[in-house]
Amino acid sequence: MHEWSLATGVVKAAEEEARRRGAVKVLSVVVAAGFRTGVVPELLERAFEAARVGTLLEGAALRVEVEPLRLHCLSCGGETERETYRLVCPRCGGGEVEVRSGDDLVLKSLELEIPEG
Amino acid sequence: MCETCGCGLPDEAKREAREGTDNGHDHDHGGPGVRREEVRLYRNLMESNERTARANREHLLEHRVLAVNLMSGPGAGKTALLETLVRVAGHRLRIGAIEGDLATDRDAVRLRALGIPVHAVTTGSTCHLDAAMVHEALHALPLGDLDLLFVENVGNLVCPGLYDLGCHLNGVLLSVTEGDDKVAKYPVAFRNAQFFCLTKTDLLPHVAFDVDRPRREARLLKGDLRLFACSAKEPQSVAPLLEYFQEARRLLL
Repeated sequence: MHEWSLATGVVKAAEEEARRRGAVKVLSVVVAAGFRTGVVPELLERAFEAARVGTLLEGAALRVEVEPLRLHCLSCGGETERETYRLVCPRCGGGEVEVRSGDDLVLKSLELEIPEG
Repeated sequence: MCETCGCGLPDEAKREAREGTDNGHDHDHGGPGVRREEVRLYRNLMESNERTARANREHLLEHRVLAVNLMSGPGAGKTALLETLVRVAGHRLRIGAIEGDLATDRDAVRLRALGIPVHAVTTGSTCHLDAAMVHEALHALPLGDLDLLFVENVGNLVCPGLYDLGCHLNGVLLSVTEGDDKVAKYPVAFRNAQFFCLTKTDLLPHVAFDVDRPRREARLLKGDLRLFACSAKEPQSVAPLLEYFQEARRLLL
């Protein structure tokens, strides 16, 4: 279950960021998962529920946003966005493409609770 | 800082707040003495794995070792292919292996029987190898005595695709008994692959398997994928693969 490894990674990174900001609690977490990572939001969210136990994220909500694969085609210059694994330009069929996004797994934002003063 | 309450809201949300857009940020600050803050990070969650992977690659390069990550479903014939590669390479190449499995060191035992250095990584319940596991395994191997290091990933065509191990080449294996429709069904493993190899081709007369279909589908996922087909039972069939690894090593060093 690599969702478990990913969920513990999310919790670890979020706790680090929260502590650095003096937070005592993480209320919510947003993760952006590129389509090509193959991450299944429901599975990651379920694994997160177990991974957050006993951490600053206990009770925190996780939202996973799937980002489409954004390609720049070196042949036709087209910029395309598709939910696909294919590294081929959907416009001209060219195979020489640059991945602009949709290939990463990113901790996008956190909502923190920080003591005043 | 948020102009309404000084809650440390970042710029974009602050602008939205000024323009009256609902930004999902409420001003209930969780009771007295506590404030809520939304922070935007864009932190790469694979970063620590990627850092270790880069270190592995450099470390291997310093020892003039080319590392090859083999990915496939369980039973596609990774270990059998390695056995044949080791036999065919003979004394021309010094080969070592890292064997990843959930449980048992059966694959490691098979390869050790051929007299090569092997380190077994037993992952427990983890469905893939990651860069840190490979890093530890590297310390257990005599890198100075090796030209080629194979990393046999956990048998799984999904999860290993997400983890850079720090190998110089990543390959996907598919046996002809698994069915010719599997590439499009399990595309994740191909995301960082440089080569794709059909295995157990000696069984082709016995199965309905269109050899062009998986190759066509794999090329759609990655246009520059190198394609191979071999049978561990026919030593001459692995020669092109061995040649490819040797050439890659020459180019790298």
